[in-house]
Amino acid sequence: MSIFQSLNTTASALTAQRLRMDVISSNMANVDTTRAKLVNGQWEPYRRKVVVMEPMEKGFSSYLQAAMDRSSVGNGVRVTKIVEDQTPFKLVYDPTNPDANKDGYVQLPNVDPLKEMVDLMSATRSYEANVTVFNASKGMLMKALEIGK
Amino acid sequence: MKLFSRTFTMLEQGLDYASLKQKVIANNIANADTPNYKAKDVRFKTALEQALAPLEAYGTNPKHFSFKSPDTSNFLVTTRNDTVYNHNGNSVDIDKEMSELAENQIYYNALVERLNGQFNTLKMVIKGGK
Repeated sequence: MSIFQSLNTTASALTAQRLRMDVISSNMANVDTTRAKLVNGQWEPYRRKVVVMEPMEKGFSSYLQAAMDRSSVGNGVRVTKIVEDQTPFKLVYDPTNPDANKDGYVQLPNVDPLKEMVDLMSATRSYEANVTVFNASKGMLMKALEIGK
Repeated sequence: MKLFSRTFTMLEQGLDYASLKQKVIANNIANADTPNYKAKDVRFKTALEQALAPLEAYGTNPKHFSFKSPDTSNFLVTTRNDTVYNHNGNSVDIDKEMSELAENQIYYNALVERLNGQFNTLKMVIKGGK
């Protein structure tokens, strides 16, 4: 067990939270994108993307410990995949839009800016909390260097 | 005569505990947004060891290994399974974790101070009070 394990753990969380923020900015940027993917010759709007996270349990020893009913500390967090939100697209009546169907309705992305802003706040707060933990761990390691001085 | 009194080993154990606790807190806060993650906790093992009866391996040969693991760690990392703090099955209470982080930092610093105090006392004795 390395003494820098807590710093690595926190670093993995910072990476994951920043990826979350990147995905949220991508969602926000594409809030009006009607041509994101070509499906069967038809343009489909942008689908909202969501980050899936899971605790990182790497290495044989953590699996062995789990099997022996002795829980390990864990190695932080990781993003397993980025999935597309399958909720239906918004339909807006706009006959002048080149992407409107024959009834004059346009499919808009299933991105809700309010939801994205709440997610962004959550990601920012988590990032800040992890920065605090990082500084705390760093302070403790620096303090340990003072032993015997 | 022992030069290093038991104080040193006890302080050392305290530091071990604090650094393990720091790792657990860091991991809990890192997983504050992970669905179905259960918060972890560290505790001293001695009291628990009596409660948890050790599992004995059935050995037919003296060369067989026992279930007991060779590491002599005094601490046990437990998982909080009973509480669900968040709607997504996550049990990390971020306020609790942050306050424990502050507490653990002060505890660690106090132990380091005390360890330094012990070393200084020893140094003074070696120098004959000079």
